[in-house]
Amino acid sequence: MTDAYDIAVVGAGVVGCAIAREFSRYELRTILIEARSDLGDGASKGNSAILSTGADTPSGTLECRLVTRGHARYLAEAPALGLPFLATGSLTVVWNEEELVRLRAMHDEMHAAGFRTGELVGPDFIRAKAPHLAPGAVGAIWEPEEGIVDPFSTPYAYALDAVTNGVAYRASAPVASATRHGGGWILDTPQGAISADIVINCAGLWADRVEALAGYADFVGRPRRGQFLVYDKSARPLLDTIVKPVPSPTYRGILIAPTVFGNILVGPTAEEIDDPDDWRTTREGLATLEAAAHRLIPALARHEITATYCGVRPGTDRPEYRIIPRPDANWVTVGGIRSTGLSGALGIAEHVAGLVLPEMKRAARKARAVPVRVPSLCAADARPWQAMMPADRAMHEIVCHCEGVTLGEIRAAMASPLPPRSLKALKRRTRAMFGRCQGFHCAARVQAIFDGAAG
Amino acid sequence: MKQLDAPVVVIGAGPAGLAAAKALADGGVGVLVVERDEAPGGLPRFCRHPGFGWAYTRRFESGPAFARRMLAALDPARVAIETRTSVLSLEAGPTLHLLSAEHGNLHLRPRAVVLATGIRERPRSARLVPGRRPERGVLTTGQLQQMVARGVPVRGRRAIVVGTEHVSFSVLLTARHAGLKVVAMAGPEDRVMSHAAAGLLARAAGIPIHLSTTVEDIEGSVHVEAVTLRGPDGTHRIACDTVVFTGDFVPDCTLFRGDDVDPATGGPLVDQFGRTNLPGVFAAGNVLRAVETSGWAANEGARVGANAAAYLDAPAAWRENAARIAAGPGVAYVVPQFHAPANGMAALPVSLRADRDMRPARLHLDADGAEYWRGNLPSARRLRRVAVEADAFATLPAGRPAEFRFD
Repeated sequence: MTDAYDIAVVGAGVVGCAIAREFSRYELRTILIEARSDLGDGASKGNSAILSTGADTPSGTLECRLVTRGHARYLAEAPALGLPFLATGSLTVVWNEEELVRLRAMHDEMHAAGFRTGELVGPDFIRAKAPHLAPGAVGAIWEPEEGIVDPFSTPYAYALDAVTNGVAYRASAPVASATRHGGGWILDTPQGAISADIVINCAGLWADRVEALAGYADFVGRPRRGQFLVYDKSARPLLDTIVKPVPSPTYRGILIAPTVFGNILVGPTAEEIDDPDDWRTTREGLATLEAAAHRLIPALARHEITATYCGVRPGTDRPEYRIIPRPDANWVTVGGIRSTGLSGALGIAEHVAGLVLPEMKRAARKARAVPVRVPSLCAADARPWQAMMPADRAMHEIVCHCEGVTLGEIRAAMASPLPPRSLKALKRRTRAMFGRCQGFHCAARVQAIFDGAAG
Repeated sequence: MKQLDAPVVVIGAGPAGLAAAKALADGGVGVLVVERDEAPGGLPRFCRHPGFGWAYTRRFESGPAFARRMLAALDPARVAIETRTSVLSLEAGPTLHLLSAEHGNLHLRPRAVVLATGIRERPRSARLVPGRRPERGVLTTGQLQQMVARGVPVRGRRAIVVGTEHVSFSVLLTARHAGLKVVAMAGPEDRVMSHAAAGLLARAAGIPIHLSTTVEDIEGSVHVEAVTLRGPDGTHRIACDTVVFTGDFVPDCTLFRGDDVDPATGGPLVDQFGRTNLPGVFAAGNVLRAVETSGWAANEGARVGANAAAYLDAPAAWRENAARIAAGPGVAYVVPQFHAPANGMAALPVSLRADRDMRPARLHLDADGAEYWRGNLPSARRLRRVAVEADAFATLPAGRPAEFRFD
């Protein structure tokens, strides 16, 4: 049996989830298809968790426009979804006169491109904003509108919103073949075949493979791996803003930033890899990051590292987004989202909807959307257990002690309409096992709860 | 909750906390012990092999048996234990913010607190071990022990144990319960850190021990598939589905931060009576430093508990005239870190760790440029306990900073 849809969104990364959410606002049968067991399990799970303004993307590009729009939409829409934004601002710091010349040029370009919030600042300003930064910074661009977000809850909130508002969701469903059928497509997956009038390929790291199934080869995936270090929460008082270097056209350099969870993050490295599934940290990569961390904030040397991870960014052989509408084929390619998917997702979603909706004459906008709110995992926000008398006592029983995650929160995550299908997904939904002991105390119990609930 | 208004709150129901509670109760003081886990007993609860509590009980018992014995020794009229209760903050006063599954948010203002929160192992990430991060199969000893004790399936067959400390060898026993075959042990040091006999027994049982060896790579996405070790003979890849990171303990000391913590131990700064920087707050057991045996931790708890009882009777000025005992050349750290004038309380044993191997080792305690005490040891090993007789401090003038050093 083939399930029939108007639109199939292939790939439940942050971009696919945002696109599915966009279509959920219309009278359309939309399905979100994910190859892996959980959403947000590819490029979206390993990034620097920063919401960029778009100012540091190449001006005049589609990427720049969509990241700018994505940033604005996130600020407007995230609060209602329960998603955090901490307005930390960012400092793009330079350490010598030569770099200062480039910084000034970058500043002028940003202003010429219409980004007028970034201002050139000197050492005194830098010291005031980042007192623990190593001495010797000669100048910076202070961008007050950049900030930090929760990279895990973001795709989840978009997907939950989409599903709550009528989008179908199918996980563990890698597309094995794409066949033209009438004006649309039939996608074969291990979970059954899906027919759709329009396919939107936002398969991220695997987008070129999905393209090939349909016979397209407009770009070649060039995955880039970025490793990160996460410092213990004890280090959080050392930094309250994002500190980054002047980017090159292909690499934004090693930045250091607080996280909404209350840690300090350092990264990424940039390594070209062949296999988009090569999620390895390396001794050299971790050593490079540790050295950079100590160089930027010497006091970090006295703090423990809580976690190491890597992300793989869906780069291509082209230095820009590869968003390709194919109105004759009813296939839209959303590839090459590089490293700006988290910031750009809502802008990309709007853009893609704008490409597709004119083709869908009967697609009326729904009168209203059912509101959706995800639990905030931001360290600065109130947790359910802070209520004196919650309805559920399990909301007062902490299971993960490092991150203060209660039994009630874990149960609530498992009871979601989009439940986590893996321990790692549960970790991303609740923060359980994400803390400094990495599960020494709680992993056995969390696994028992997960295995019990997942049955 | 019973005894919410108990004059003393003990944080942690492991060996040190339970011994402290017993000492307080024996002194006629009411105690509330708060434990964040579902049951009291601390880490020994999850360790089925014998050898727990020897220094305290003089019995050769398993961890759970030792925990039961400690619990049975408590007078229920004086000691209340609240499990599933986390301490969210400990501030001056002392004031405590607790979160209890049973009672919700609680704010307590006891007259004294004994901090006995114990230790944990540093996980793979803190050790900067590269490779992939499979969802299952990368464990610490603590996690493996809890999985076995809680009946959570380990779903592994072949394990590599990283570390050669005492606890690393205890994993061999736990692994057997879990149905895991240990195919290799590996440690960065050039010798077995536990007793040499442990290494001989493991090797006799057919388990190769790779010394001067680090983990270079971990493979697998859902389950561990292989581990690559790098040693003196180069790298070799071993197919396995489990890798257990053992030892490398650190105090689980999250209620104390910043200047109240000794960066060298990771635990609170205390004087020889177990008094921390925070008036009314004592600390005992492995939260002071990693790591001593459960019996040692219990003995510390007993002394500090008695000291807390004495403090209630005569709350003298807190740590007045206490002087810093510094870790000088060759010394990684000293516990206690402060020396206060005698006040009738029971002193903790002074112990320190050398920062390198020495044979023989001569230890000095200096103050004001003069030597107050000297000890000759046949040897000192890096990060192994060097016990110093209590009289080392006997003639030290109160209030004068002093320093231990090796020459």
